[in-house]
Amino acid sequence: MVVKIRLARFGRRKAPFYNIVVAQARSARNSKPIEVLGTYDPIPKPPTDGEGKPWKDIKLDTARAKYWLGVGAQPSDPAWRLLSMAGLLVPKYRPGMSAEAGKEELKQ
Amino acid sequence: MPPTLRCATSTSRCVRELCKASQSLRSFSTTPRCDQRTTRARRAMWRWLQQQGANLRDPLEGGTNYLGAYNKDGKLLRVMRAERNQESERAVEQSEPKNAERDPDAKQAGVKVPEETVSDRIPFPLNRNFISEPVLSENFREEIWYRIMKLGHSVREVSAELGVEMSRVGAVVRLKEVEFEWKRIGKPLVVPYANAVMSMLPKTDYNPEEKDPKRRRPHESINDLPVHASTAQQIFYPTSESREFSRADAAKVFNERLKPADDRIPHPQLVLQHREKFVERLTDQEIAERAREREAIAEKKQHRAAMIQLSKDAKTKKIESGRWEFRFTDANVDAAGKDGRGHKGVGWRYGVPHYDRNRGLIKIPKTVGA
Repeated sequence: MVVKIRLARFGRRKAPFYNIVVAQARSARNSKPIEVLGTYDPIPKPPTDGEGKPWKDIKLDTARAKYWLGVGAQPSDPAWRLLSMAGLLVPKYRPGMSAEAGKEELKQ
Repeated sequence: MPPTLRCATSTSRCVRELCKASQSLRSFSTTPRCDQRTTRARRAMWRWLQQQGANLRDPLEGGTNYLGAYNKDGKLLRVMRAERNQESERAVEQSEPKNAERDPDAKQAGVKVPEETVSDRIPFPLNRNFISEPVLSENFREEIWYRIMKLGHSVREVSAELGVEMSRVGAVVRLKEVEFEWKRIGKPLVVPYANAVMSMLPKTDYNPEEKDPKRRRPHESINDLPVHASTAQQIFYPTSESREFSRADAAKVFNERLKPADDRIPHPQLVLQHREKFVERLTDQEIAERAREREAIAEKKQHRAAMIQLSKDAKTKKIESGRWEFRFTDANVDAAGKDGRGHKGVGWRYGVPHYDRNRGLIKIPKTVGA
């Protein structure tokens, strides 16, 4: 069975909130996971000092995420996006980059 | 009134030419004047144009030129008032013979146009409650920007010194920055338009010669208490007569977390200074010492807050994407405890019921964060 790193949607209607979880691939989305690595709040908050971009809050246990990646957990696409932003993975999709170039970078 | 045309006696061709000649470039209607009847309203209009309207055609220099400043005959009300005052003074002087030697030039010079007052700043005479408030002049705004950006004064300081509200000080600095940015990238500014508008409005000028801040006229009231939503309700609160009931207590009655009015005003330090000087009658040295103490405490507080923010920032990894900034903070999986249901654990908890769908519980928010 495959272990995946994926998002589990919580929150309310029109107020999503995600747990970043490590779970068996075939278990239900919101069932109890193997581990909760962190959270992702996709609702942007206004910039603190009134300047700059709105921000989104992500909490992540980097050490545990690294461990699970090391033992072969497969991140889903949204999870991959977040983990690559945290610097744990090479980004899967990047604007302006061909698929081959991306693959080569992955190999390196 | 314009001369009336006698169309009846001339030929039709002559009339047409005459009409064409008499029509000015800026006439109100395209109907030839010979076809226009001279009604009472039209007569009134021409009378108005020659009396009150003339003041609008040739406006006063160096001030506002509102309709409310003139009477029906198109005379400046403040000039008339000054004339009346002068006459009454003269009458008093004549009654006292020892003051008879008057300056003979005064009468010939007549009355100079006095400074405008609140009653002259009424643009709509039928609405006496609409009073045009002065705006900051160009050099005043430059001075504010200079003090904040170049001298590095705080907004609070500049606001108290110059008598301009803190929010306005912020707005002036921001708009000045926008102006400089536009100049830098070569975006054209509508200077003639700005000059025209500024020449029509009452202004507060910055006078650098007047060093004493007390003698400078403040632009606006800077220490107004903002209305907090919690204080909008009327409360009947019985309390014992023997108890001292201060403003701090009153604030507590309105809302547990509401600060007393003395702390909610924009410049509490001005009140303190006034109290020290006129109520406690401290010497200047003592006042300065106390101000220094207060400043030191405030600085310490600010420093601590800055340090906390700094340490928070150090723990946060900020990543900019196209539209958003993603802020990563570290979480600890083990904080959830052995059974994974601990209070401090990261994430939405599993197996813990939410009572927000239960009956009989209030779901709408009781308070709104102000």
